[in-house]
Amino acid sequence: MALLALAGIMALPSTVFASGKSDAAAVQKQTATFFWANYDGVTEDYRKGLQDAFNKVDPNYQIDIIPVSWDQLKDKLTTALAGGKPPDISVIGTRWLLEYNDMNQLVPPGDYVSPATIDDIFAGAKEGVVNGKLMGLPVAAGARFLAINNSITTAVPKTMEELETMAIAANKPPEHYGLFMVGQKNAELTEFAYYFYAAGGDFFAKNPDGSFGKSLVNSPAGIKALTFMNKLANQDKVVEDGYLGMTRIQGHPLFYAGKIGYVMIGAWVESAMKQAGATFPVTYAQIPPFAGQKSTPLIITDSIAFFKGGKNLKAAGKFIDFWYQSEWKGKFDELAGFPPVTKKASSLPAFNTPMYKVMAEANVNAKGWPLIATWDQCQDVIWDAISKVYLQTATPKDALDAAAAAIDKINNIK
Amino acid sequence: MSERVLTPHNKLRVREARLAYALLLPAVVCVTGFMIYPLVYVFLMSVFKTNRLGWLVKFVGLTNFGTVLSDIEFWRVTGRSLLWTTLAVFMKTFLGMVIAMLLNVQFRGQKMARMLFIAPWASSVPISVLLWSWVYNPQFGLLNHTLKITGIWPNPPVWLGYPISGFFAAIWVDIWIGVPFMALVFLSGMQSIPEELYESADMDGVNNFQKFKFITLPSILRIVQISTLLSALWTFNDFNAIYILTGGGPVNSTDILITSIYKNAFVYARFDQAAVMAIITFIILTSLSVVYARYYFKEDV
Repeated sequence: MALLALAGIMALPSTVFASGKSDAAAVQKQTATFFWANYDGVTEDYRKGLQDAFNKVDPNYQIDIIPVSWDQLKDKLTTALAGGKPPDISVIGTRWLLEYNDMNQLVPPGDYVSPATIDDIFAGAKEGVVNGKLMGLPVAAGARFLAINNSITTAVPKTMEELETMAIAANKPPEHYGLFMVGQKNAELTEFAYYFYAAGGDFFAKNPDGSFGKSLVNSPAGIKALTFMNKLANQDKVVEDGYLGMTRIQGHPLFYAGKIGYVMIGAWVESAMKQAGATFPVTYAQIPPFAGQKSTPLIITDSIAFFKGGKNLKAAGKFIDFWYQSEWKGKFDELAGFPPVTKKASSLPAFNTPMYKVMAEANVNAKGWPLIATWDQCQDVIWDAISKVYLQTATPKDALDAAAAAIDKINNIK
Repeated sequence: MSERVLTPHNKLRVREARLAYALLLPAVVCVTGFMIYPLVYVFLMSVFKTNRLGWLVKFVGLTNFGTVLSDIEFWRVTGRSLLWTTLAVFMKTFLGMVIAMLLNVQFRGQKMARMLFIAPWASSVPISVLLWSWVYNPQFGLLNHTLKITGIWPNPPVWLGYPISGFFAAIWVDIWIGVPFMALVFLSGMQSIPEELYESADMDGVNNFQKFKFITLPSILRIVQISTLLSALWTFNDFNAIYILTGGGPVNSTDILITSIYKNAFVYARFDQAAVMAIITFIILTSLSVVYARYYFKEDV
């Protein structure tokens, strides 16, 4: 009550001043807020340019694009939602959709975005469907792949075992290293997922009703993946020095600087290399499976969510229409390095390159993150298990057994 | 009943008092709204089950306290927080004192030196910590590069990659940011000591250490006490250094209470348990302040 009273007192002057404006302007002018995830490769100039371009179209509908780093995005959104002041729209990891939908925080984008925009999105990209309704518009979707610095090696591995051999051959520290590895916990578990999926692993068992069951992170595939990662880092020593202190953001510049032979990466690599002034030739290939397994790369999909508590959802819908139907979306895809999700952008020549061909092939068998509301906690537990193995305080089996037990406890599975 | 007659002078005083209350009212409302309300809400969260947005769902009494207090990780984090605070405050006080004494000596460029010493404290803390994260970077970092090329340490450690080195690397950054404040307040205290005391000491043949022990330190003791208390409160709650440098890792081995509260609330969405930890932090810091205040005011009498 005290807060309401306070808010009332504080709002009073603005109400008095607002009464001087014309009624039409007061009703019509809307400024939507958009939490914009900072994608590697997408520049600040692009963000500002897009904002200015939309804001010129119709003074009654404005957008405020607020840049947020990926590491902070979930926290910022949770805080905003908890405080009852969500943005109108936000980029989110598609895996978060379920969580926000469970909290009853979302509205279907179709309520505000025109059918023309939604129809222009490839059907296969519409992953953000919950209970049969499209709750998140795809903004970026792309499988991860292997990039090879041809000034160090041209050998293309067909299996993980071959990758190990080739990385050993390419390794010549401190001039350059065979393979890139992330050793410091960061927002995502991508590194482990590359190897885990390559070993045929799944994070969870599936119940007959389609829901997730017990954790399978300690399955033979999990143990094989982590044992292999540990061997590369601590026995073969083919990864960059100091990998334990490196996040992805800190470490990828090593590849752009020509100091890494093999890196498992996303399609932002081309624009990031261009921005870093890298000139060495690169070839792209699938992330190889372990011998006897089929290639199963990780695919990352991000969506745009519309929040029920947003006050300017109409302006937000108009902004999405503008963005997706203009050249701006194609430019975004090109900079972020994701294959286009819209038919219009896919016809652009920028996407007819060897890298996008590799990504298109990778999409066939690619697998995403499990859509489970507690995923952030689960991946944190798995990260700790990986760190224990790297620090040599636990064996892969012991670390993953403990992680699986902790994950089952988080998910209330006995 | 006699009616009190107000003289024009008294009327003016009453009017002034009313105006003073009216002017104070917004501040009182703000303080109540922004300090009392969050405290009450955190207390409520600690005795309720909360949903993933921190909204109260069901009254559970002291269950959340039981869950937190029976978790061995909580005690590890609490112990680490106390160690972190003790080491950092001790070092900040010691280095602050040394720097203050150096800056209290007249020399050419003294003003410039004082300004430079303030820079770490005047800069934005997250930006300073980010800069240090690059200094510690094992590949590009200034520290390891310097150690390697000078031959001082041909194979320097990955500072942020291991539990012990990560903890001390983070403590150093906290010290680096906090020392200028301590130095500044000690220096201001030193400058208020009458010069005659030192001149008399010189005539009595007192050496520098004795001057420090018997003149400088007793004269600024109050300032030292209050600044170490403030520093302890800030250091205990220093979120930036650990969160930005190590994120509490590896394997939560550098987490302190404040980073653990944040993780519980915003990563694990366990707002109820985070609230319990926040209340325990509040109790620890309030107890520290009360003990300090009693000691401080007792000495005054």
